[in-house]
Amino acid sequence: MNPASPEIGAQLITLMAALMLVMQLLLAVQPMLFTSVRLYAIQSFLLAGIAGVVAFFDNASHVYILATLTFIGKVIFLPWLLNRQLRRIQITQEVEPLLNAPATMMVCGGLTLLGYLVARPFTSLERLGNNTLAIAITLVLTGFFLMINRRKAISQVLALLTVENGVMLAAVALTTYGMPLVVEFGIFFDVLVAVMILGILAYRIRETFSSMDTSKLNQLKG
Amino acid sequence: MNIEPSNILLQTILLLLVAPLVSGCIRNWKAKLQNRRGARIWQPYSDLIKFFRKDMVIPEHASWVFSFAPYVVFLTALVAGLLVPLVTTRAPLSLFGDVLALVGLLALGRFFLALGGLDPGSSFGGMGSSREMTIAAVAEPAMMLAIFTVAITAGSTDLSHIIQAAQNPAWKALNPTHVMAFAALFIVLLAETGRIPVDNPATHLELTMIHEAMLLEYSGRYLALMEWGASIKQLVLMTLLVNIFFPVGIAAASTFAMLGIGVLIYAVKLLLLAAAVVVVETVNAKLRLFRVPDLLSAAFVLGTLALLSTFLFQ
Amino acid sequence: MDDTSLAILLLNLCLLCYAFGAAAGLLFSSHEKSANLFSFGCATLGSACGIIACVTVLATGTAKNQSFQLFTSLVPYLEFTVRLDPLGAFFGLIVSFLGLAISIYSFGYARGFYGRKNVGILGTFFNLLLLATTLVFFAGNAFFFLIAWEIMALTAYCLVSFEHEKAETRDAGVLFFVMSHIGTGCLIFGFLLLFQTSGGYGFDGFHALGNAMSPVKRDATFLLFLAGFGVKAGIVPLHIWLPAAHPVAPSNVSSLMSGVIIKTGIYGMTRVVFDFLGAPPNWWGVTLLAIGTISAVLGVLYALMEHDLKRLLAYHSIENIGIILMGLGASLMFLHSGHLLLASLALIAGLYHTINHAIFKALLFLGAGAILHSARTRNMEEMGGLAKRMRWTALFFLAGAVAISALPPLNGFVSEWLTYQSLLQGFGTTTSLVRLMFPISGAMLALTGALAAACFVKAFGITFLAQPRSAHAEHAHEASFTMLLGQGILTAACVFLGLFPTVFLKLFDPLTQQLTGQQISGQLSAANGLVLSNATTLGGSISMPGLTLLGLSLLAVPFVLWLLFATRAKIRRGPTWDCGLRGLTPQMEYTATGFSKPIRMIFKALFRPRREVQREYDFSSYFTTTMRFESHVEEIFQTRIYRPLNRLALRVSRRLRALQAGSIQAYLIYIFITLLLLLIFAL
Repeated sequence: MNPASPEIGAQLITLMAALMLVMQLLLAVQPMLFTSVRLYAIQSFLLAGIAGVVAFFDNASHVYILATLTFIGKVIFLPWLLNRQLRRIQITQEVEPLLNAPATMMVCGGLTLLGYLVARPFTSLERLGNNTLAIAITLVLTGFFLMINRRKAISQVLALLTVENGVMLAAVALTTYGMPLVVEFGIFFDVLVAVMILGILAYRIRETFSSMDTSKLNQLKG
Repeated sequence: MNIEPSNILLQTILLLLVAPLVSGCIRNWKAKLQNRRGARIWQPYSDLIKFFRKDMVIPEHASWVFSFAPYVVFLTALVAGLLVPLVTTRAPLSLFGDVLALVGLLALGRFFLALGGLDPGSSFGGMGSSREMTIAAVAEPAMMLAIFTVAITAGSTDLSHIIQAAQNPAWKALNPTHVMAFAALFIVLLAETGRIPVDNPATHLELTMIHEAMLLEYSGRYLALMEWGASIKQLVLMTLLVNIFFPVGIAAASTFAMLGIGVLIYAVKLLLLAAAVVVVETVNAKLRLFRVPDLLSAAFVLGTLALLSTFLFQ
Repeated sequence: MDDTSLAILLLNLCLLCYAFGAAAGLLFSSHEKSANLFSFGCATLGSACGIIACVTVLATGTAKNQSFQLFTSLVPYLEFTVRLDPLGAFFGLIVSFLGLAISIYSFGYARGFYGRKNVGILGTFFNLLLLATTLVFFAGNAFFFLIAWEIMALTAYCLVSFEHEKAETRDAGVLFFVMSHIGTGCLIFGFLLLFQTSGGYGFDGFHALGNAMSPVKRDATFLLFLAGFGVKAGIVPLHIWLPAAHPVAPSNVSSLMSGVIIKTGIYGMTRVVFDFLGAPPNWWGVTLLAIGTISAVLGVLYALMEHDLKRLLAYHSIENIGIILMGLGASLMFLHSGHLLLASLALIAGLYHTINHAIFKALLFLGAGAILHSARTRNMEEMGGLAKRMRWTALFFLAGAVAISALPPLNGFVSEWLTYQSLLQGFGTTTSLVRLMFPISGAMLALTGALAAACFVKAFGITFLAQPRSAHAEHAHEASFTMLLGQGILTAACVFLGLFPTVFLKLFDPLTQQLTGQQISGQLSAANGLVLSNATTLGGSISMPGLTLLGLSLLAVPFVLWLLFATRAKIRRGPTWDCGLRGLTPQMEYTATGFSKPIRMIFKALFRPRREVQREYDFSSYFTTTMRFESHVEEIFQTRIYRPLNRLALRVSRRLRALQAGSIQAYLIYIFITLLLLLIFAL
């Protein structure tokens, strides 16, 4: 392997991580649910890519498994599942989030800044750690914010998934520093199951209230 | 730095000749993508010549500002073009103005364009001016942030220095900073040159047009100057994008061979960017006016992120 | 005679002329024509002397703290010390130059008051205002400064209330009066704190005094002066008096007020922060930069919502004060981090914008005055078509509009370019996160510039272009020669300061030497002064003469094309095509309100626009017979800050009314207790 390649690897990872962040921001302002799912798929694809790059450049072959699983699970299976859900409940648009798009953008920008601030003490983590970790934290934060900001159950599920992507990114980024594979698997399957349950739940909510607006859930209390 | 008249002359001619061609290409390719045959790519030249030959009608309510505006629009775009390195790393007049001057010149052109739209007193013109100035106002901060980012990484606002810095091996094109700054500037490019999803250059439907609405009352050679100015402005912005973010093949010395290669590569880069614009225009629908700020705020946040990354991704 | 004594002599002459002018106004108050001639004549002469005096001080760089007594005082502690120093001279130059142009303009403008108002009184107060303002800039001790400051505020109040028969004017006057005195109160406390440390009142003794003060006291002093001078300068949120007071004054006075009087706030801040308070902590600069950015953006946004031409201009003053403060704030931050060169650059950017704003804002107000004079309205919706009727005024106003929108090649662009450059280079001066403020402020500056351009497209387009919207506008006539001359002088200054900044920047050398210890005009100029560079090795430079010449020579392109193709093409004037609709009437034109609607909608979180539409129709709502449309924008500071404060003050006063017992003994007890408290405090 020529000496320049780890450098290229680091660049690629940073780039893809940054693009994941961009996808997250686009997702934050995208009202169309089908497009959101597609954006999520792209984000997951980037995550898989990062895992692949890490595996390749650090000769950590177990990460390949992770990359493959991510690809199959999050780029193909989950988007397919969500799309099917969307078609079944026939809702295509997120209506009136709490904050409008520019305000959402500003909040996300602020959260990004916060993410970077939090990650700053970890500069010692060399080439993979610092910035990727910052993005991972940001993904988690903005994901949470998105869950708060959205009303539709499906978009909340999407937001949760991006949070999970963030966690996964952190795991991958720190992978060579001893995050055991088992933990990653754990997270992965946890979320997979969670999404399936949530998907069913969303369908039920829709059946019961003929709407997917989770703010209507407060009608459940006696 | 010496000012070489031959360089200035060459670049002027290049700008004047290439600008309509780029517009023609975009129009033609767009037609192709939409399964139409489309006008030939040379059509804008014929249009311009025809406009020049035509008689002019000047609206009776218009004042001298109406006749003054086309010259300002045309000349500011042209002067701005001379500040940008096209095929060599040195712009012929980089000492005369940096990237901020370029932004200022284009803004001056826009200012008079909008006044020219208001002058005849038709409500279409006023509507166009109002929208143009609004969109420019929301696009400007995003553009400045992206430009700041580039200027900060290059350590200069001088365009020639920026491009020289971009050719330095230490400059990483894959750096997320540049990717995001590019994305922000690309959105701004769409807004500034009046492309779908911001404005539709092909329409004359009163509710959707912005740039065209301001030109409604222009005819003859004033119209030619306006159209030409607009396409030069588009060329200048596109050049900025390709030469800063893809600084491949810009001739460092003005030997004949290097210049030749430079021109070739420049043309290829430009056409690729034009193709990107065409694709974006084809796959998107025009946004409602009040949705445009959403798009541009995305550009602004991209610019901010780019800026953040300049020191956080070190 | 050496330069210093020449300067002193001329300054004395200048002050004397103003005094004469004031006296002449009173003397001839029954005879309008001579009152006009003598009072404004004296003002013209005086300001001409003032210009030469100030330029002498700045150009020779001498007169470091040359001071003299204006006249001997009979009261102890009170000395009328006039002190010549570069900072004062710079601001003195601004007031004198504007004084000259505005006085000339006033000859013609005051004629509009013949038979309606007392021109003599106008002349008197005008001269007094010039006198007091000049003295504010040259006062050599705190007492004298405050006296001049108060005279300035009072004369300004009288001038604002000049047309006191209108209720709007009276309200604005009172608001101005109250706010101004809140500011003065802060200043007095600030000076007392300074006095406590220095033990004297002289400005010489105050120099770098802050280094001897305890940090808490120093910060308190800073905040007091920031508030005190901030009121005068009109920073957000202390600005509310400004858009009320400036428009109602006679236009020559609005011009002076927006051009110079609010700059006394900038002068005060520069004087106190850079001269008196010593090495600044970082948060001062950050505060100024933040306030500047917010003022700039909010100022221009509110300006866009106005369709009263003079109120629009007044809001733009807030914007420009913000831009000036951005420069000053950045400069303070650089001083803190020890980057003296950059500090000088940012300071120059701020001060250069100060003089630029003074000039183009005065120009625009004079233009607005000329329009008011002939079209009899400040409401833009009733104007239109004036470019054909008032050709020169239109040209001058357009120059002012281009300058204020920071477009090349005029002066506004140059100072904003300097501000951009200092903000950009500021990014590298620290590694803390605070540096993010620089580019963000820069982006906000860009937003401000673009919005200002939008606003002036509206202001110029709706006022001067298309068809007249009212009979008054239809029959508008060109302003008189002196009015045009006054505007012409300012336009020429805009062009000069835009095209040849390097020449003018030399005058900043003694000033930056005094405040930051650097002289950088040499580094800022390149290629024999034709190019303005940003004083770094890598560069970034602009050359306004170069760009202008280039633009003009490129006119050859359209000319050649005309020769080639169009020599036989004819030009015909015809009706506006308007997409084939016929019968275009002024009512169909775009209005000022309509023009700014997209921006109102985009920033609706700030403006909270309300609208009421009432329509009457006969048989279908598509055929409306009459229609009423009303739209309002909320002034968030008034409704959210001042009104609650006002209510609170009223409630507290109602409580305090109990103290007003009405018995003399009670009052004596109050006085006695106060005395006792003071004595105890003095222990």
